[in-house]
Amino acid sequence: MFAPVTDAWNSLPATAQDVLWFVILLLPPLIIGLIVTRGYRPFGLVRAMMWRYHWTNALFVTLIAISVGIGVGLIAQERGLRKGTARAAEKFDLIVAAPGSEVQMLMAAVYLQPVDVPLIDGQTYDRIATHENVSLAAPIAYGDSYLASPVIGTTPQFVTHLAGDLVEGRMFASMGEAVAGARVPLKVGDRFVPAHGVGDAAEHDAHEGHDIVVVGKMRLTGSPWDKAILVPVEGVWAVHGLASGHAPDDAGRIGPPFDPEYFPGTPAVLVRADQLWANYALRSEFTTDKTMAFFPGAVLAGLHSMLGDVRQVMSVMAVLTQVLVTAGVLAGLVVLTRLYARRLALLRALGAPDRFVFSVVWSYAAVLIGAGAILGVAVGFAAVGAISRVVTARTDILVTATLGWPEFHLVAGFVSLTVILALTPAFMALSRNIVTDLRA
Amino acid sequence: MGLALSVRELVVEGDRGRRLLRIGALDIPAGGRVGVRGPSGAGKSTFLYAIAGLVAMKAGTVTWDDETISAMNASQRARFRRERVGMIFQDFLLFEELPALGNAALAAGYAGRAERGRIADGAAAMLAHLGLGDHADRAVDTFSGGERQRVAVARALAADPPIILADEPTASLDRAAADRLIGDLADLAETRGKTLIAVSHDATLHERMDRVIDIVDGCWTGEG
Ligand SMILES: Nc1ncnc2c1ncn2[C@@H]1O[C@H](COP(=O)(O)OP(=O)(O)OP(=O)(O)O)[C@@H](O)[C@H]1O
Ligand SMILES: [Mg+2]
Repeated sequence: MFAPVTDAWNSLPATAQDVLWFVILLLPPLIIGLIVTRGYRPFGLVRAMMWRYHWTNALFVTLIAISVGIGVGLIAQERGLRKGTARAAEKFDLIVAAPGSEVQMLMAAVYLQPVDVPLIDGQTYDRIATHENVSLAAPIAYGDSYLASPVIGTTPQFVTHLAGDLVEGRMFASMGEAVAGARVPLKVGDRFVPAHGVGDAAEHDAHEGHDIVVVGKMRLTGSPWDKAILVPVEGVWAVHGLASGHAPDDAGRIGPPFDPEYFPGTPAVLVRADQLWANYALRSEFTTDKTMAFFPGAVLAGLHSMLGDVRQVMSVMAVLTQVLVTAGVLAGLVVLTRLYARRLALLRALGAPDRFVFSVVWSYAAVLIGAGAILGVAVGFAAVGAISRVVTARTDILVTATLGWPEFHLVAGFVSLTVILALTPAFMALSRNIVTDLRA
Repeated sequence: MGLALSVRELVVEGDRGRRLLRIGALDIPAGGRVGVRGPSGAGKSTFLYAIAGLVAMKAGTVTWDDETISAMNASQRARFRRERVGMIFQDFLLFEELPALGNAALAAGYAGRAERGRIADGAAAMLAHLGLGDHADRAVDTFSGGERQRVAVARALAADPPIILADEPTASLDRAAADRLIGDLADLAETRGKTLIAVSHDATLHERMDRVIDIVDGCWTGEG
């Protein structure tokens, strides 16, 4: 019986569904409003009531606005964070590393939170790099740092894959050169000496004499790589006193092909297949007792769905807060309505129909709630912007959260529910004794 | 044309069964003008509320022409007041934030479409007649006591009701303004045949009435 409706609904574009849903959520208060005020003109009195206790009313609207704003802000923020972390992982199709924790390797290779892991050796790397379906295989050799920036050894091909053409300067072409991420506080031409290790444990004089010059800058990617300094992997090996990755007669080469005999190892390899389907074949092929292969996007999705519970708790909390606010709003409305008891009694004494008095009280409540909700959306936009900036600064993951349909639906639902519940204070206003209130 | 009032064995009780008012039999003809006086707390306001159908009656009947309001439910009584009664309250009871005209034409907010214009015109005319024509758009919270009283009078008369119930309508007016208002109310009742019942201590008002009744201790016992 509902099948045609369901079909029609499903055939609508997503935006149309969202808009419709929003309208449907707002229909009850609109219909109630039309019924309650039909044939009457209560708005002059509502305006008078607003003005009468305008500070109280303003406070009331502000409280609703803040709670609505925080509620929608939190939900939007959570979504923004999910999108931001996914975007930061976008360029990492397949990672091959020594067997271990996928999540740890994800954190290390994609989000640059280094962990100690065994290295992949030259033969294994060679098998990956020379595989017929692999279009790009790049070592990601982390472990060094300069101030707050990780120094990553890799290939020119990876730099181009990650950030496209450089916005400034040129690609590194020898061991003493580097390309800096957009948010690294180094300019083209600046020199630095990398420290061994990262953070507090870094040994600052371990790489004495290996100073590096910045020759290029990458464009902004919105990922932790914006804080990274990329150098030829050969350079990383060299400062650690390891082989150069190339045979002696090929010394000085930067980038592939590497000679397996002279390949010191890398903690991780980024792999890109020439075809989408080939990724799956590559993953199973490199899932061996010596290597693990995983899709960072899939691991991230797994993490997100694990965090889905947290998300649900957050949504429930957001809704719960709204319900508490609603209860507070209603209690407040009952009190506010009592402030107006004498005026309402006057209306009734003059012979105003109950529905008119009802419409005055209800419209007053609806205006407060509606104004609070609209203002709340504005507060939400501001809150989301502010929180995003903080999160982006703290994690280097660009979070561009903004309010979307789920938030608008939440607000519409809140308005709908509260405005329906506001019928209660309106009824209560009618049950009062006219003469008692007149004498008050 | 005014309506005739007939009250029989009316009893009004307050909280905890305290008797506030008892009227044995009272008849006021259509177009009659009656002053009501009595000491403070005697039950004069209660009497006006009772014949306007605003208080629950313990016993007895209140009939205006052929409409027995003591037998009506709340919404019927509201309709009766809306259509028949112009009430002037002891302490004005205005919407302070609304302009004088907004207060005087309050009933236009809930009147039928056809009535709205008539009420608004009546309110404006009444304000002008009472000397507030130039102040119709000013919010009444800037008005003096006497001006407020006149806005309350204009509100009561805006819809041209056949019954006028006034509770101390001249209390906040100076002698001259009081005399003018008394003249207006009495003239209106006289020329348009409205039934006017006015609670007042003002002897000038009593002079313009057909009759004055005394309520003492909640009782008015028999025709005087
Ligand atoms: N709900 C009630 N319960 C008990 N007593 C009440 C109630 N309402 C009013 N009263 C009392 O009834 C008496 C009559 O009140 P009413 O207002 O009718 O007096 P009044 O004659 O208009 O006095 P005034 O001249 O001061 O306006 C007063 O003593 C008042 O306190
Ligand atoms: Mg009184």
